[in-house]
Amino acid sequence: MIKAIGALLLRAAVVLLGTAILTFALLWNAPGDPAQTIAMARFDALLTDDVIDQIRDEVGLNTNFWHAFRAWLGPLLRFDFGYSAVTGRPVWPDLWTAMTYTFPLALAGLASGLALSLPLAILATKRPGGLLDRTSVAIASLGAAIPAYWLGLLLILLLAVQLGWLPAMGARTPAHAILPAVTLGLGVAASLTRIIRSGILEARGQPFLPAIRRRGVDGRAVARDHIAPHAAIPVVTVFGLELAFLLEGAVLIEVIFGRPGLGTFLVQAILSRDFPHVQAVVVLTALVFVVVNLAIDIIYRAIDPRIGTEDA
Amino acid sequence: MLKVTDLAVKRGSRVTLESITLSLPAGETLAVVGESGAGKSTLIAAILGLLKPAEGEITWNGKPARAARPALVMQEPRAAFNPALNLRRSVMEPIVAQGVALAAGRLERLCAGLEMPLDLLDRRPDQVSIGQAQRAGILRALIAAPPLVLFDEPLSALDAVTQKHTARLISELQAEEGFAALIVTHDLGYAVAHGDQIMVLKAGRVEETADANTFALTPQSPYCRTLRDAAISLGALEAAA
Amino acid sequence: MRSVLFVVIGLVALAVLGPLLAPYDPTAIDIPNRLSAPSARFPLGTDALGRDILSRLLYGARWSLGLAFLISVLSLLIGTSIGLIAALGGKSADWLLMRATDTFLAFPELVAAVVIAGLMGAGTWSLIFALSVTGWMRYARVARGIGLSVQNQGYVVQARLAGMPGWSIARWHFLPSLIPSLTVVWTGMFARAILGISALGFLGFGVQPPNPEWGAMLLDARVHMRSTPLQMIWPGMAVVTCVLTINLAGDALRDALAKQSSHE
Repeated sequence: MIKAIGALLLRAAVVLLGTAILTFALLWNAPGDPAQTIAMARFDALLTDDVIDQIRDEVGLNTNFWHAFRAWLGPLLRFDFGYSAVTGRPVWPDLWTAMTYTFPLALAGLASGLALSLPLAILATKRPGGLLDRTSVAIASLGAAIPAYWLGLLLILLLAVQLGWLPAMGARTPAHAILPAVTLGLGVAASLTRIIRSGILEARGQPFLPAIRRRGVDGRAVARDHIAPHAAIPVVTVFGLELAFLLEGAVLIEVIFGRPGLGTFLVQAILSRDFPHVQAVVVLTALVFVVVNLAIDIIYRAIDPRIGTEDA
Repeated sequence: MLKVTDLAVKRGSRVTLESITLSLPAGETLAVVGESGAGKSTLIAAILGLLKPAEGEITWNGKPARAARPALVMQEPRAAFNPALNLRRSVMEPIVAQGVALAAGRLERLCAGLEMPLDLLDRRPDQVSIGQAQRAGILRALIAAPPLVLFDEPLSALDAVTQKHTARLISELQAEEGFAALIVTHDLGYAVAHGDQIMVLKAGRVEETADANTFALTPQSPYCRTLRDAAISLGALEAAA
Repeated sequence: MRSVLFVVIGLVALAVLGPLLAPYDPTAIDIPNRLSAPSARFPLGTDALGRDILSRLLYGARWSLGLAFLISVLSLLIGTSIGLIAALGGKSADWLLMRATDTFLAFPELVAAVVIAGLMGAGTWSLIFALSVTGWMRYARVARGIGLSVQNQGYVVQARLAGMPGWSIARWHFLPSLIPSLTVVWTGMFARAILGISALGFLGFGVQPPNPEWGAMLLDARVHMRSTPLQMIWPGMAVVTCVLTINLAGDALRDALAKQSSHE
């Protein structure tokens, strides 16, 4: 077990290094001057050409990619994201503010997704193949095909514009978070319903269950002690996939609802070619992603020790 | 002549074969006997060049054995054929790959020798019996006239009647074609009946090498005596039944 | 397999023939008739510049479906080659390529695509590059898994002993095993590419105006959501219909393959 976790940690470290290389390669090859980017990230905005030339020499931009990469990586390892190339303000406080909007939204999305999918999946599995089951599968398929941003627009159109029940744009009050969270939740619910449904069906198909029932254990106890843990395993693994969906969804949904957050932060940064901001978001999402997936791998192994180390 | 000198094979840090030396003249048969795990299949893989020996040399007439393109007959007849292709395609692979010309009438002659109707080749592996699949496997091994053919438990997937039949066909074809055969088997009776030489492997080492008659009458090591006695009593039982 | 084929042929036909059915030039501006409601003359109405929405949708199929097809095939080729090299190229190549795959998987696909397309400068080529380079990983994993299992099959050993050249072994012994599973992955990725193209188009990083791509049409329509909500419905419906059809065909194929393999 210790050895397996060690291997997972090593792998995560390698992947993180890879993400750093990829990110830097992207900035290196993007149209624009990387020396200026690094200068902006390190110091204040509005530098003279002399200073930029000096950085170019110092960082080794004239020499090669790997020199420059090491110079770039150093501050990042100390969680120093530098300064915005546009406003000249430090990146970290603004990034943190954006995160305080996005992560709660993602969690609310996940929560409402679970709140929708769990009852739907349980209802569907009451009679597998029945009308309810087929309807829920159809809803889930439809849900997976609807782009999150279009769904958001439709909800705005219906609930904010036509009915006027909820505010749509901005993030001034908690009520402003309802529509974005529900939009995100509906998208998550589509895939979660399928996964929980097949998880329950698979767990129910366990050969030992009829024997347990015959011994007179009541249905609710069987569901709690034997079916739920089995159905939980795919849910845990899928959380890693949903995380990607939540982050992607959040990016688009923030733009639609005019909410501050990582998505608006990123899109703004790209449009204004604010490289320090872009690289901060990219590095941060990759970090979150790798850490969460690492945690999932470890949890998964704890639930089911049969899983080997060589499943790359 | 196949010559193996001081062969050693390692898997990771584990030694699976050690100081194996053998020689097999053209046209003759060497039967390699041993329990499962004794290293028989590893020996075959090494001769075929499928794995790199840690030490030692494997040559055919002084050149690396691989260059002679030895052929292999596998234990599981169906696994040796791609399920998506008909038998003819697979059987002709050595001809196509090595760019050699197929002598007129050779396919028909070999098929006749294997008592196999030609149109059987138009079927897919799952449409023939195991015994037929194994004969197709032998056909593929022989089609390009290799000087050396390796048989890895060629009979063990077959039923008793088919075993006898196939064994007879193999020796008849060997007499016609003149290839050297290295047959790996756990069936000592088959080894003694068809081998010119017998080599007994135990835990990756050669326990004893002898010509078949000497081996059957006076095995040297205690292990081989036990093996032989077990085979004889089994034979006695079979005869009684 | 057949249902997938029908769906693909249907969508390709839509992309190829769609423009022939279009009543108007999709970029022809007609200010007097701007934002008009559906009528006999404009079956789905017109947009803010008076362009016929039906014509734009039909031409848009060429962008959305054609690009999605191109992207999903490009990433299929990249992913399959990487997966097969990992499976057949020895232990260290395998480790290296699989860590590279993990690395690419560590970025949320769409976020990475937005960044790449955005930094490269909005346009069709950066769109294709961004979505292909973020979409090959699943193919690589599937191809590697199948490659590893087929490599040890008796018939591959026999083919190698016979001296078959590598490409010939790949063609005759690996491809037949790879095709079914890769087709299932491909349908999923085709659908994802449609969603990705429209998402990037909607953010303004994808196909550029005045080209009628469905996501970009949604971006145009959003401004006039209050006055002409229908204008926003159509492109979304087009995306949903295509993605849903492809996904259902993919599901059917997967079920059929699962049934087949459980019979053997």
